[in-house]
Amino acid sequence: MSNDEPKTDGGEPKTDGGGIVPQDDQAPTWSERKERTQGLARLTYEYFERSRREDEDLRRASDYVERDVLAFPTWPHEMIRNLAITSFFLGAMFFIAAAIPPHIPGPADPNSTPAVILPDWYLYWSFGLLKLTPINPELSLLGGQKLMSDRTYGVLANLVVVGVIAIVPFLNKGSARRPVEEPFWAAVGVGGVVFAFTIAVLAVQNLITDLLPMTSGELFILTFMLPFAFAFVAYSVLKTMREGYMFELNRRYYRLRPPK
Amino acid sequence: MADEFAKGLAILTGGGLVWMAISAWLTTESFEGTQLIAPPPEDPGTYAELVLLLRDVTAGFVIIGVITFWFLIPAFYELRDYFDERSAEA
Repeated sequence: MSNDEPKTDGGEPKTDGGGIVPQDDQAPTWSERKERTQGLARLTYEYFERSRREDEDLRRASDYVERDVLAFPTWPHEMIRNLAITSFFLGAMFFIAAAIPPHIPGPADPNSTPAVILPDWYLYWSFGLLKLTPINPELSLLGGQKLMSDRTYGVLANLVVVGVIAIVPFLNKGSARRPVEEPFWAAVGVGGVVFAFTIAVLAVQNLITDLLPMTSGELFILTFMLPFAFAFVAYSVLKTMREGYMFELNRRYYRLRPPK
Repeated sequence: MADEFAKGLAILTGGGLVWMAISAWLTTESFEGTQLIAPPPEDPGTYAELVLLLRDVTAGFVIIGVITFWFLIPAFYELRDYFDERSAEA
């Protein structure tokens, strides 16, 4: 840009809008137009203008030519790291597949029903929720009848559990980042994890009652009592740890910013 | 402390992988039978005996390594810090 061209933005050469000629000298510059905006637009403009300016100042003050960037470049830094991690896991998979080949059973016989019918292990919890017959209430209002069949009750239990978990992302979970900061909710989480395990054990209650000296009724009680027991223990432990944790936190904070 | 945990974990997973592979080869009856901890074959060849020895070595390595890096060394650090603080207070 040569010097005799008209300057439109307060005399500073800019790459954007350099070719736009104002109507006359009285017309507001682009900076003035921006500054006149009101409210949120103005606030946004000021914010970005300030951060842009700070960035520019930092770059100008920096000794580095091309390294004063705010992140690492993808190549080579991140690519090499990702390649290393990928190679590691690929190697582990190839090693296991070659050294410990999986067992391939014989073809299924469509004429005989297996003695034990079970879903894959990661669906045991859902299968266990179908076995809630003992807590499907018999209502005296209905003359000792059940409101819904046991099958419907089990499906409904699945819906309830899935619904509760589906709601979690939409809840405001607060600012706590460690279990000690929220002992109660951490205990609820512990109870949920233990319940996921015990309800999965309930799904294979036939195998468990063969294996362990307990009846299916006792197993059913344990399924619902163990989560509460673990939650109770977790709550007590975390509540006890909280004092020490807050003390450490405050000590560190005051060491950082001593009170006047 | 986190470094010690990572070392213990590396010993556990790496040694455990070797132990698991050898056990799958030599001390597994079948898929339905006892897996990984079945008694070893009666008269394994020389190489299989060497591999079984390596299995025992990895088992000991994993156990001792995990105990060392997850319990003994952190406990030693904690004790050292405790005695340092006590001597600083006195």
